Amino acid sequence: MDFLKSMQIAASGLRAQAGRMRVISENIANADSTPARPGADPYRRKVASFTSEFDRALDARTVGVGKVAPDKSEFRLKYEPGHPAADANGNVKYPNVNPLVEMTDMRDAQRSYEANINVISATRRMLQRTLDILKA
Amino acid sequence: MAITDIPIFSMLRTRMQYSQERQRVLAENVANADTPNYRARDLKAPKFPDPTEMTTATTVSNISLTRTEGGHIGPLSGTGSSFSTDSKSGYEVRPTGNAVNLEDEMIKVAANQMDYQGATALYTRSLNLLKTALGKR
Repeated sequence: MDFLKSMQIAASGLRAQAGRMRVISENIANADSTPARPGADPYRRKVASFTSEFDRALDARTVGVGKVAPDKSEFRLKYEPGHPAADANGNVKYPNVNPLVEMTDMRDAQRSYEANINVISATRRMLQRTLDILKA
Repeated sequence: MAITDIPIFSMLRTRMQYSQERQRVLAENVANADTPNYRARDLKAPKFPDPTEMTTATTVSNISLTRTEGGHIGPLSGTGSSFSTDSKSGYEVRPTGNAVNLEDEMIKVAANQMDYQGATALYTRSLNLLKTALGKR
């Protein structure tokens, strides 16, 4: 049944966006995670990427979260000599997480999630219409 | 004569199949709205024969392969797409190579839903017409 396929494809989109949301929440939660030892690296921001995979059972291209790769950009340096994780020069490395970027990503994920929900409800209404033929 | 041989029913059936398949393609597009290098696809509208030249014998049913021997391997997935796809849509490509316009897809989903509802409403009306002819109302 094609309508059920449509719903499963949209559900794969929901799953993928939820996975992306998980990575974003990890980033936001760890936005200030300083290193444990002096001079060590703090939390490194993660980036989720999507891959389109061909589902043979569905005969359609569903979506899934691919590799969650680390963000290779520089850490933020702050001069805090009193901090337990400060190096010899008194600098502390902070994670390369920019809350603004994370918030934008979060909105984007939310918007895509809502779009998939919209497809599911539209498909559901169409399916309901098919059943209404029987009632006529 | 089967009920599906009546032109209005077979045409509506084709229309509904088209909407069903289009919904699948649109769902794919929306699901892959953030996938790099994904291009949005759409289905071309089915072509119907001119109703004025149509006789009751003309059917709009789709063509499929016949298995003449038991050993033949069937098509990959029961029902292959019988409508041609149109992948040139999408005038806006993001830096990641993704060319899905979410607003555009939402409008298409809504339009597709309305088309489908129109087809099912007509189908119901046509069934009522038959019932009237049978004197059941």
